[in-house]
Amino acid sequence: MIRKLRRTSPFQVGLVTVFTALAAFMILPIVFILNHAFKPQNELFLFPPRFFVRHPTFRNFESLFLHASNATVPFTRYLFNSVVVAALTLTLVIVVSTMAAYVLAKYQFHFKQLIMSMITLSLMFAPETVSIPRYLIINGIGLNNTYFGHVLPALASPVAVFMLVGFVSQIPNDLVEAAKIDGASHFGIFLRIVLPLSVPAIATISIFTFQGVWGDVETSTLFMQTETMRTLAFYVNSLLSGLQNNVAGQNLAAAAGLLMFIPNLIIFLLFQRKVLETMIHSGIK
Amino acid sequence: MGSITFHHVFKRYKGESRPAVNDFHLSIEEGEFLVLVGPSGCGKSTTLRMLAGLEEISSGELYIDDKFVNYVSPKDRDIAMVFQNYALYPNLSVYENIALGLKLRKTAKYEIELRVNRVAKILEISHLLERKPSQLSGGQKQRVALGRAIAREPQVFLMDEPLSNLDAKLRAQTRAEIIKLQSDLKRTMVYVTHDQVEAMTMGTRIVVMKDGVIQQVAPPRQLYDEPANLFVAGFIGSPQMNFVNGSVLKEDGRFYFVNKRIRLALPEKYGSRFDSLTRSERNVVLGVRPEHVLLGPDRTDEPQPNSVSAVVQMTEATGADSYVYVAVGETRIIARTEPETVYRPEDKVSASFQLEKLHFFDENTGDAVGGEPG
Repeated sequence: MIRKLRRTSPFQVGLVTVFTALAAFMILPIVFILNHAFKPQNELFLFPPRFFVRHPTFRNFESLFLHASNATVPFTRYLFNSVVVAALTLTLVIVVSTMAAYVLAKYQFHFKQLIMSMITLSLMFAPETVSIPRYLIINGIGLNNTYFGHVLPALASPVAVFMLVGFVSQIPNDLVEAAKIDGASHFGIFLRIVLPLSVPAIATISIFTFQGVWGDVETSTLFMQTETMRTLAFYVNSLLSGLQNNVAGQNLAAAAGLLMFIPNLIIFLLFQRKVLETMIHSGIK
Repeated sequence: MGSITFHHVFKRYKGESRPAVNDFHLSIEEGEFLVLVGPSGCGKSTTLRMLAGLEEISSGELYIDDKFVNYVSPKDRDIAMVFQNYALYPNLSVYENIALGLKLRKTAKYEIELRVNRVAKILEISHLLERKPSQLSGGQKQRVALGRAIAREPQVFLMDEPLSNLDAKLRAQTRAEIIKLQSDLKRTMVYVTHDQVEAMTMGTRIVVMKDGVIQQVAPPRQLYDEPANLFVAGFIGSPQMNFVNGSVLKEDGRFYFVNKRIRLALPEKYGSRFDSLTRSERNVVLGVRPEHVLLGPDRTDEPQPNSVSAVVQMTEATGADSYVYVAVGETRIIARTEPETVYRPEDKVSASFQLEKLHFFDENTGDAVGGEPG
């Protein structure tokens, strides 16, 4: 270890210092959320504000659950909806995107370029521009107030397909051909060879799909008129916006913010190793 | 079982004027070890891939065991293929790699186990069965790839340059093993390589290809002794055959090969094939292999018939033999000599040819003139 340190050049030392500082700066918001959620009321409004909590307390969470249980729809219902929607979306996005990517990356067929261009093109649209068409479609096929109303808009994920096409096309053609000769069907090749080899890329798309769905309020706002079909993100959001100018509500907002953030952290920690593999893989090949 | 017939097979790619494979017409007998050899881009791999069913046939017919297979999918052709980069499934263990083909064919589990273990034993990879391909060396990967093909017990084995990623020593060793394997299994094998040494040592019959066209199909010895054209003559043999431009003249009922510096009186046996040539066709390329060039002491003062004076340019010693590069005027000729005799650059020597072992090619078409010496 010591020998290794001796060999590091001043440039490397500088680099490590800069990146450590940068990483510390990047982690500040997370540290802040963690501290903020446990601050008692008086610390929340301290001036000048303090970054770290002095007397941590669970009072904020208690108030949040108290507030939630007084609402017409119980807090757990929102949570349940969010979990169902996130799980369904994640599963279906993975199924649809990997299948699409396999075909686009490994087979030649008519209009393939056109389809790829359309996928690329759809990456350019801001979400706001498609809200109205989306509403018309969801309404038209009668998916209002159903779980699929939440899932369908997220299902066609051009970013996921785009990323996976890049990844799958790096799988050598020889492997696909060897499997063909070994007797595998198209679906067999997909299931036994392509899917297991794409796990790193799937982990990556899982993270950002989950983050998108978990924090999404649009589907709840636009397509769900029944309160019982709305998600946790919507509930927290409405809580926060309702409390925006309310001094008494700041503690609830702090606790809710942490609760919304934790699942993202868990998913990221679960998959981050695979994500790194994606980066390494795409770097070498 | 395992015979293959190509009936005027073509492969054309979109937007390319020249077919990648041009009128491939050949029958391969059951149990034969056929080698396709040629420089890169000659269409040998494309031919193999058409046989495997990985590439569509543009026109012509392909039969395996008299069954028309143009439109039969790879898995239904009863073939196995070994790829240049092994193409092992990285996510599966060695055992699973070998077993996958059997599993997909719904072979009984005990049978799979039996066959995988038997193949592993033959190839001496029993101790590797639990490993992943990434934990294997190049040679071991190659064995697993072979094992995967053998375990299926197909009628036809296809090999696409399977040895080109191995180092020289391992290549020679694996080459010998594949030859033994083929003679043990007695299955048809079609083997693609760009290495003429591999082709000569392995094949019972060799197909030499260039620009998508078959140049010659013959057993190794015949290919070496009786090349059908200049390309085959130059491609097979290392160092390659010497070529000397000149013309054939008839004087006093005898044929002579003549150019500015060389005059060779040709033996009787060549006579018959020059007789039919018209005057303009008598411009030929003389071909002679390095081992048929003899070097001797300089005889400039008293010129010998059938011998020319030459100047040594350089020597290549391989250990068992030495190859001496000499200049006869503008023409460079390589001669194989005993390593004991030392030649230095600028040495003057005389070079003579073994007259029974000469080859003649048409200067314009490159085809061998008449038949070859028999």
